[in-house]
Amino acid sequence: MNKLKTNKAYFATYFSMAVIICLVLIFTIMEKSFINSSNINNLLSDTAPLMIMAAGMTPVILIGSIDLSVGAMCSVSNVLVVSFIMKFKDTIYADWFIMLVTFVTTLVFAVIAGIILGLIHVKLKVPSFIASLAFMSIWNSAALLISNSPISIPKKLWGTIDWYKISIGPLGYPLVIAFLIIIGYYVILTRTSLGRGIYAIGANERAARMSGIAVDRIKITAFAVNGFCAALGAIFLMAKAKSCAPTVGDSFTLMVISAVVLGGTALIGGSGNILNTILGVFIVSIIKNGMNIVSINVYWQKVVFGVVVLIAIAINTDRSSRSFIVK
Amino acid sequence: MSKNILFSAKNIVKSFHGTQALKEVDLDVYEGEVVGLVGENGAGKSTLMKIIIGVQPQGSGEMYLRGKPFQPHDPLEANAEGIGMVYQEQSLITTLSVGQNLFFGHEKEFMQMGIVNWKKMYAEAAAVLSEVGCEDINPRKKVIDLNFATRQMVEIAKVVNVTKEASTDGKCLILLDEPTSVLNETEVKRLFQEIRKLTAKGHSVIFVSHRLDEVLEISDRIYVYKDGENAGNMNVADATEAILYERMVGHETNSEYYHLDKQVIPKEEVVLEAKDLGCRGKFKHVNFQLHKGEILGFCGVVGSGKEEICSVFCGDESPDFGELIVKGRKTKYSAPYQALNDGILMIPMERMVEGVIRGLSVEDNIALSNAGRLSKRGMISRKRVSEQAVEWIRRLRIKTSGKEELVIQLSGGNQQKVVFARVLASESDVVILNHPTRGVDVGAKEEIYGLIRDMVAEGKSVILLGDTLDECIGMSNRVLIMRDGLVTGELDAAVDAKPSQVSIISMMV
Amino acid sequence: MEEKNQAALDIREEFAAKVKADNRKEKLMKWAPVGVLAALILVFCILKGRSFLSLSNLVSILNQWSLPLLVALGLTFVIMIGSIDLSIDGTVGMVGSLTAIFVANSKNTVNLGVLGFLLAILCSVVVGFLIGVIHVKFKIPSFMVSFAFMNICIGIGMLSYSGKPATIRDPLMMAIPKASFLGVPVITWIAIAVLVLCYYIQEYTPFGRHVYAVGTDETIPKAVGINVNKVKIKVFTLAGFCYGVAGVIGALRLGQGQIAIGTDQMFPAQAAVVIGGTALTGGKGGVMNTVVGTLIMTVLINGLTMMGVDPNIKTGIQGVIILAAVILTIKHGSAVISK
Repeated sequence: MNKLKTNKAYFATYFSMAVIICLVLIFTIMEKSFINSSNINNLLSDTAPLMIMAAGMTPVILIGSIDLSVGAMCSVSNVLVVSFIMKFKDTIYADWFIMLVTFVTTLVFAVIAGIILGLIHVKLKVPSFIASLAFMSIWNSAALLISNSPISIPKKLWGTIDWYKISIGPLGYPLVIAFLIIIGYYVILTRTSLGRGIYAIGANERAARMSGIAVDRIKITAFAVNGFCAALGAIFLMAKAKSCAPTVGDSFTLMVISAVVLGGTALIGGSGNILNTILGVFIVSIIKNGMNIVSINVYWQKVVFGVVVLIAIAINTDRSSRSFIVK
Repeated sequence: MSKNILFSAKNIVKSFHGTQALKEVDLDVYEGEVVGLVGENGAGKSTLMKIIIGVQPQGSGEMYLRGKPFQPHDPLEANAEGIGMVYQEQSLITTLSVGQNLFFGHEKEFMQMGIVNWKKMYAEAAAVLSEVGCEDINPRKKVIDLNFATRQMVEIAKVVNVTKEASTDGKCLILLDEPTSVLNETEVKRLFQEIRKLTAKGHSVIFVSHRLDEVLEISDRIYVYKDGENAGNMNVADATEAILYERMVGHETNSEYYHLDKQVIPKEEVVLEAKDLGCRGKFKHVNFQLHKGEILGFCGVVGSGKEEICSVFCGDESPDFGELIVKGRKTKYSAPYQALNDGILMIPMERMVEGVIRGLSVEDNIALSNAGRLSKRGMISRKRVSEQAVEWIRRLRIKTSGKEELVIQLSGGNQQKVVFARVLASESDVVILNHPTRGVDVGAKEEIYGLIRDMVAEGKSVILLGDTLDECIGMSNRVLIMRDGLVTGELDAAVDAKPSQVSIISMMV
Repeated sequence: MEEKNQAALDIREEFAAKVKADNRKEKLMKWAPVGVLAALILVFCILKGRSFLSLSNLVSILNQWSLPLLVALGLTFVIMIGSIDLSIDGTVGMVGSLTAIFVANSKNTVNLGVLGFLLAILCSVVVGFLIGVIHVKFKIPSFMVSFAFMNICIGIGMLSYSGKPATIRDPLMMAIPKASFLGVPVITWIAIAVLVLCYYIQEYTPFGRHVYAVGTDETIPKAVGINVNKVKIKVFTLAGFCYGVAGVIGALRLGQGQIAIGTDQMFPAQAAVVIGGTALTGGKGGVMNTVVGTLIMTVLINGLTMMGVDPNIKTGIQGVIILAAVILTIKHGSAVISK
């Protein structure tokens, strides 16, 4: 469905690229070490979890919904993974097998959580922002209940998460996985009936339903995929930090939404290109990394992201129709 | 009572997107009378009301109020001249009280020391209510606790209040657009009493309704509109339901127009069957069989339940009672995609809203209902999508700059054709056509009739909700007549034995 | 024929019955919150007996009630126009932090006294105004604007004391949280004063009526010539004021200004408003509903704490309560599209 690219979509692409270039220039001028190889490596590997989560959020926003619980979902998956590992670490099974089982269990949990959210939104007609808001509080509380404080992974298991450090050329393994996922989603969104359904629902849900598209099923799928991605992001965060923290995902919600919207996906749904989400993700992670490098107070970063997401949405919103009521 | 003309409209013309909604219509209203205005959907009644109240400007033609030229630019201006309208959708804020609604937007007039003096407002509200003869309505009651008839009266009181003060002689003209559609019988009686009180005080009313019996009961004079033209103007004494209906639908039967030579005899095979089907509060006890290759027409006025039956067939709503048997299998749909899997698809009435996705391209819209069939190993073949689009653009002569053009950029008629292309491409064998010729000009209508005949010739079955009775009779093999949610008649309509409109009308009203 | 006529009557009657049943359900729902409150009190009385009904616990409930009430009052108006405000955690925390550094405190030499309160409240009023303006002018959904502002305000609040929170040193202000009048804490009186103000605004000003109208159907007030955008901006500004008062009270009660004053204020407030019967779709409910809603939430939390329930579970329970309340009050049917 990329043929639908209108001038506006091209504008989003070029605009995002221009923003990235400007940001790089600004940060480089402010602090030379911004473009040295170690920081670039750092930036690229830091980007992976955000990119995966943004990839999951894109279909949700494309259908015109939103999930404010991604951050909390990520937190709860993060502590879940580690607490599983701690539980099984002294069993007789091989380390890699323990890891595999915990990863799969966590991912399955996240998919089920996404399906439940989707079901409540779709079948009970609860607006997605309110349903996901409720889940945000539920998962936040669950994460804290599972583990009130950060837990480190025992040294003997470090070998199993070394893959996170492997690089293929300049790109880290995690980032390559993230790219592959985005490309996979791109193919799904543009070349399958599921993807076409997602765009159709976002553009006009009523017409999509009347055309014989399984609206409910597709919407629930989008939420399930989002849950999967949040959990995968959480696993990456765990592998990076070699530990877990019950609040690790909190700051991600806003960053993920910013990244998707900066990538040109409209908040009302129906238009956008997941490949552009990559650009949005890079804008967000460059801002984050750059602010750290030029040692801007962490608290300022919250203010900056708040403003960034507003600007991004303001640019992307179609205000042409005057009678359009926004609640 | 002296009969002075209060309002008159002369030669009003209005067109939307190239189709003419009004072609030179006239309307006169005398002081203190109720003028009934009837016509089928799309006859132009609502359009004229909107022009009088100033929501839309007319294309050409003049309006006069008390002999002076009258041209409002918005409803507020019309109110200031003494014309007010009660809309089909109620415009009361249900969460507020009657008095607060009457003076909504004018609360400042009752402010004393920063507080709204509700007592004063309610006293004045009571005065306004007695002006329209509703002394018994408590202005302190919340609108949500009132029945619909009372709400309608409050609505009228509100309109009378704003218009009366403005007009020079204290006489106003109230437009009522389908005011009885949500009322039950006793409530209608009540409303009529109040209308009579209103006219007794010298106010005038234009009463728009599709319920002919009610129009006959309340009106002094009746105008009939058909396809945006005057089709009659008579005193109530000279009118009966049959006369009105005949004027409304007119005569244009013409065997070529409906491609009668292509009408085929349906096969024995039953593709769809309804057994005692019903939906609470909408329709009941519906029984029929649809055969392969048959066009089954549904006739009935708005609110007869025919639309609701269609939404059950296409899976948009689930029935409360009875059985739906599709191709010999008992089914119950909860969403249209399940019906599509069984080969049933509807062309919805609101095509711009429900039929096409205007933000997508022509080819994507055409492929919307059959994307699954155009894919290989889960991947949609872009080549087949565009081949299909090219094919249908050619066959239906859709005017577009290319298959990749966004549907929103097409003209209204061509957007309609995209919906047809989508439904035809889906290869469904039961197609529900919900007013397929609504808003289409004469030439395109004939094309659509041809298409329907072709579909049936290919062995498809069609359920047709005609835009006019004539169309329904002309196209169908058989017609079912509905009234108040019940099937009141079933007539064969073979080529050489088409039933007369009069016989059907008698079962509809 | 006779039978058919009978059936035709049935259809109309069925429709009328349906409408009537809906109305009856609505009336029942109106009183449900009061029933829930009574039931809750009863349950805790049975489970905890004397200690729940003891004077000290009742005063403590009143004390705990003040902050959620203030926050929920502001939110009520926002929800009544059909919008939502997710900025609460941020604005309340920000005002709390600012209050402490504006009055006599351990961190700086600024001492604006009571003026400091007003200045701090002004900050959240400005935030509310900005949320409103950005929401209506740029047509960005309110949940998104306020969500962004939540983060902005948390940032500002934390920046204001960067690291170590300021402790309030003004002796008079330190005394306020402990003071009481007629047996009711002064802080609760302040909340009740704001409640009266909000009730007056809702019931006795044109603006109050316009709020209901905008929430019920925006097109109606538009047709009468009311500036709907202005009403919405005013609502968000008013909400900002309420959050501001809540923030000041939070700082006084804690004795110091830190962002945590606002943490987890939003959920109880959202839950309280919705439970009280103010529908998320707008146009329904009001200040009095919120009073009942906040009491339900406060009693619930108080009771759970007395039973020794893990505080982390309480957050989760609030989420479940919001979901349940919304599901019960929302419109269903195939034609409803929720985004």
